[in-house]
Amino acid sequence: MDIVSPWVVELSRFQFALTALYHFMFVPLTLGMVFILAAMETVYVVTGKQIYKDMTQFWGKLFGINFALGVATGLTMEFEFGTNWSMYSRFFGDMFGTPLAIEGLMAFFMESTFVGLMFFGWDRLSKGAHLAVTYLVALGSNLSALWILVANASMNMPHGGYFDPETMRMTFDSFVALIFNPDAQAKFVHTSVAGFVTASMFVMGISAFYLLRRQHRSFAAHSFRIAALFGIMSTIAVITLGDVLGRLDYMHQPTKVAAMEGLWHTSKPPSEPWLLFAIPDDKKQTNYFEIGVPYVLTPLLTHTFDKPIPGIYELQDQAGPRIENGIKAVSALRRYGEHRLQSDLEEFRHHEKDMGYGFLATRYAPDQDIDKITAEQLPQVVEKTKLDIFPDMFVTFWAFRIMVFLAMYFFIVFAMASYLSLKRQLEKYPFFLKIVMWSIPLPFVASEFGWITAEVGRQPWTVFEILPTFISSSTHSTGYMIFSLCGFLLLYSIFIAAELYLMFKFARLGPQTSHDDQSSRIIAAEQKS
Amino acid sequence: MIKILLRFAGLGMILIVALLVAVFVGDQGPWYFAWMVGTVMIVLISVAGAILFDTQSDPNDSKGEY
Repeated sequence: MDIVSPWVVELSRFQFALTALYHFMFVPLTLGMVFILAAMETVYVVTGKQIYKDMTQFWGKLFGINFALGVATGLTMEFEFGTNWSMYSRFFGDMFGTPLAIEGLMAFFMESTFVGLMFFGWDRLSKGAHLAVTYLVALGSNLSALWILVANASMNMPHGGYFDPETMRMTFDSFVALIFNPDAQAKFVHTSVAGFVTASMFVMGISAFYLLRRQHRSFAAHSFRIAALFGIMSTIAVITLGDVLGRLDYMHQPTKVAAMEGLWHTSKPPSEPWLLFAIPDDKKQTNYFEIGVPYVLTPLLTHTFDKPIPGIYELQDQAGPRIENGIKAVSALRRYGEHRLQSDLEEFRHHEKDMGYGFLATRYAPDQDIDKITAEQLPQVVEKTKLDIFPDMFVTFWAFRIMVFLAMYFFIVFAMASYLSLKRQLEKYPFFLKIVMWSIPLPFVASEFGWITAEVGRQPWTVFEILPTFISSSTHSTGYMIFSLCGFLLLYSIFIAAELYLMFKFARLGPQTSHDDQSSRIIAAEQKS
Repeated sequence: MIKILLRFAGLGMILIVALLVAVFVGDQGPWYFAWMVGTVMIVLISVAGAILFDTQSDPNDSKGEY
C-alpha cells in the first residue's frame, strides 16, 4: 500500500499531462507567430508597402485568437501544483515558485500591456513605436516561456538549491545557477524555435490554401516567402538544440536516454545502430522487430566514436548500491528529525546524494517504513526498487521517434518551400502546396511528443533523483480526481473547439485588404467565365 | 530537372555542414545568447527574403506566377 493511493497519483499525472498537452496546443503558435509578425511589420516599416501592414494585421488577428485561449489554459496549470501536487510543492516550492512568480508577472504585465498596444495602437502610435511594441510582445511571450522552462529544468536537472534537513525541504540559494542551468538554456531555445517552426508551417499552410484557391495570391505568396525562410532557419535551430538536449540527457539523465534509444543493454561503440523501428516490451525488458542504422547512435549521442551509452540493465546494477545508501540516508534523516543528533546528521550527509533512491525504496518497505527493513529483507527491497528506476520505454522510445521523424520531415518541406518560393514556382506544384496545407497540424504534434519524451522520460521522479513521483501528489480521493479531470476535459475541449472554429472562420475569410491583387481578380474572372 | 536536383543537393549539403558546425559550437554553448543572435538572424533573413520578393515582381505581368 503506497503513502498516497496509486490511483490518485496516476490520475494526478494524467490530469497534469492532459492540461499541459492542451495548453501546449496554443503555446508554440504564440511563441513563433509573434516573431513572424515582427518580421512582417519590419518589412512594412522599411519599405512602407501597405501589403506588409495588411499581412501583420491579418496574421495578428489569428495570433490574437490563439493568444487569448493560450493564456486561459495556462492559468489552471499553475494552480494544479498546489491542488494536486501539494507534497511536491511543499518539498520543492522554494525552487519552483520563484520562476513561476516571475512568469506570472511577465505574462500579465509585460505581455498583456503590449498585446493591447499592438492590437489597438495602429492609429495611435508611430510606425516605429508600433514596431517596437510588436518586438516587445515577441520578447515578452518568449520570456514567459523561459521562466516556465527554467522551472521545468530545475526538476530535470536540479540547480541553484540544496536539501535542508532542518526544514525537510529544498532551499533555493542561487538565482544565477537556477537561470543558467544548462538544461534550462537548451530547453528554452529548443522550445522557442519549435514554436517558430509551428508558426511558419501555420502561415505557410494557410498561404498555400489561398494559392491553391487562387485567392489573395500576392498576399499569400508574400506571406509564404517570409514563413518558408523563417521555417527553414528555425528547423535547423530546433534540430541543433534537440541534439544539445540529447547530449545533456546522456550526461545527466541516463535512464531517459536509454528509454529514448531503446537500450536495454549498454551500447557497443562505434557500431551500435540508431533504431528506426522497434517494439520495446517493458515487462520482458527486451525489444522486438528492431531495425536500425549502424554506426549512428554513438557519434549522434556522445559526439565520439568510443564512448558507450549505458543500457537499462547496467543502470539497474549501478542503482543497487545507491538504493542501499539512500535507505541509510532516509533512515538517518528520520532519526535526525526526531533526536537532532549530530551523528545522524553526519550519516545523512555521507549518503545525501542518494536520498531520492531511499525515498523510492519506501514503497517496498514494510508499512512504508524504511526503518522496518530487516537485513534479510534488504536485498529483496533493493531488487524491487531497481525495477522502478527507468521510465516507460515504449512510450518514451516512440514519442521521441515521432518527434525526430517529424523534424526531418519539416526540414525537407521548408527546404523545398524556400527553394520554390525563391524561384517563384510555388503555383507550378499544387501537390506540394497541398502537402504544406495538410502539414499545419504536424508541428503541434511534434511539440506534444517532445513534451511526452521529456516528461515520461523523467519518471519515476518529479525532481530527478531527489523526489519520486509516487510521494509527490496530494492526498485526494479518486472521486475528486475523476470529477476534476472530467471538468478539465470538458472545459479545455470547449477551448480547443472555440480555437478551431475561430481559426477556420477567419482563415477562410482571408485578409480584408484593398490589394486583392489584379492577377487574382483576372484569374477569378476567367474561372467564372 | 537534374540541374535543379543537383542545386537542391548542393544547398542541402550547405545546410548539413551548417548544422554540424552548429552542433560542434553548441557543445561550448551559452544558449541564451545563441537564441538572441539566432532569432535576430532568422527575422532578418525572412525580412530580406520578403524584400527580395518585391525586387523579383514584374509589375507588367498581371497574371504572374508565384
